Amino acid sequence: MGSAIELTQVSKSFDTVDGAVHAFGPADLAVAPGEFVSLLGPSGCGKSTVILMIAGLLAPTHGAIRVNDRPVAGPQTAIGIMFQDNTLVPWRTVRGNIELQLELRALDKSRYAERITRMIKAVRLDGFADRQPFELSGGMQQRAAFCQALVHEPDTLLLDEPLGKLDAMTREGIRVDLQALWLERRPTVVFVTHSIEEAIQLSSKICVITPRPGRIDRVIDIDLPWPRNLEVKKSPAFAAYLGVIQEIFHGYGVF
Amino acid sequence: MATASFESGAAAADSRPKVLKAALQRLAKKLARSWPFIAFFVGFFLFWEYSIDWFGIPAYILPKPSEIVTRSAADFDRLVYYTYVTGLETVLGYVAAVVIAVPLGLAIAFSSILRRTIYPFFVSIEMTPKIAFAPLFISWLGFGLLPKVIIVFLVCFFPIVLNAILAFGSLPEELERFVRATGAGPLRSFMKVRLPAAMPQCFVGFKYAAINATVGATIAEFIGSDQGLGFYIQIVTGNMRPDLAFAGIFLLTLLGLSLFGIVTLCERLAIPWHISQRRRH
Repeated sequence: MGSAIELTQVSKSFDTVDGAVHAFGPADLAVAPGEFVSLLGPSGCGKSTVILMIAGLLAPTHGAIRVNDRPVAGPQTAIGIMFQDNTLVPWRTVRGNIELQLELRALDKSRYAERITRMIKAVRLDGFADRQPFELSGGMQQRAAFCQALVHEPDTLLLDEPLGKLDAMTREGIRVDLQALWLERRPTVVFVTHSIEEAIQLSSKICVITPRPGRIDRVIDIDLPWPRNLEVKKSPAFAAYLGVIQEIFHGYGVF
Repeated sequence: MATASFESGAAAADSRPKVLKAALQRLAKKLARSWPFIAFFVGFFLFWEYSIDWFGIPAYILPKPSEIVTRSAADFDRLVYYTYVTGLETVLGYVAAVVIAVPLGLAIAFSSILRRTIYPFFVSIEMTPKIAFAPLFISWLGFGLLPKVIIVFLVCFFPIVLNAILAFGSLPEELERFVRATGAGPLRSFMKVRLPAAMPQCFVGFKYAAINATVGATIAEFIGSDQGLGFYIQIVTGNMRPDLAFAGIFLLTLLGLSLFGIVTLCERLAIPWHISQRRRH
């Protein structure tokens, strides 16, 4: 079986007034279908750039990207994508925002009505379907944004620090929700984060990225049982992964 | 059947006082919130009314509000007609500005060639006081309606077009990417996301233009006209009738407030979701 996502010698430079700035790569990466891969690295290492390139929203300077065995040559419409700032629009309700994804894709809304109700319930937003985003807390908004990103049943999800702006307690709660959503349908996920703990908790595989220009330095398989609840997080194996990865970033001089 | 209608009738009769009571409560709440403004407003006019006598100001310099009302009543028909004339100039110029400036702003926001040519041109013209063109237009087009409409148009056009450019050109990056990732075509993404997202900033331009529209009409009438409230104010001031001039000023204020009120109402209907429209509880 081929890879769901495959990067071959991909690198990206940006032109600025001071000349080209090398932001990322060259890097190779292969993500198998159903994997949850985290891109873990310090700020400014080009993690988000990788997400945008996989999504076809940004062209790599060198190298090739394939998604589901097809070369990426423009926006990838079969994926679900989420950013640090959510894409809920203020003029629609929670349900309306989820439907926006369907409407933009010209999908039949009525066929998804039940699915939307189920998703809203799954992220513990029942009773808030008809509220406007501004009536929701930051964490609730981000959970609604999960539904928006997933409603069209994409088998590939690109998550660019979707929990980045949330407080620690809310983050923990949403991690649990995200893991439940992933375990249920097993989409392929590429998840950007700079939290080591978050990466270990959620991922089947972690790509450790060096500070700028970002390179994939190590790929670490996380062999811990699912779901990764509090029990797992308190286990020695979890602590061992944490120690190893902290050691790596210490070696980069990040901390 | 009879029982059913009796019951619904009783229910209606029961609910009517409740509705009335709720409406009265709302009114009372509103009054409770806005009484300082009302008190200030009333106080201002009372002070004006009585300070004229206290300070011995002659009526040909500054009349009392009560005199303004009673004396201008004699000129009621002319005032009403002139309000209509100035109102027509204002509304035609304003509507023309909205109709032309919004699509143009949209085009400039999405065309890099227009953004590098017309846009800087508009920005520099924005620095020109548009009213300075008024004598020229009147010399070209005469004393009629058209030059006034054009001047109101000029005054309103630039704030609307510049805000429209800003509105259509500043979709948050994340939303832009979200829309592109769905593969939605230009029309669909415009109707579903770009247009509603641009509305609040567009209304900033609409409101700013609404405030300035009557200024354009009034000054254009000062410069060359044989009717309208601007013309009226100039003539009666020359005749030492400040009472009538104030009547004209009040009507112009009313005109400006009405236009602004209508635009604000449209805003409330168009973007009830926006932060500027949320009711404070």
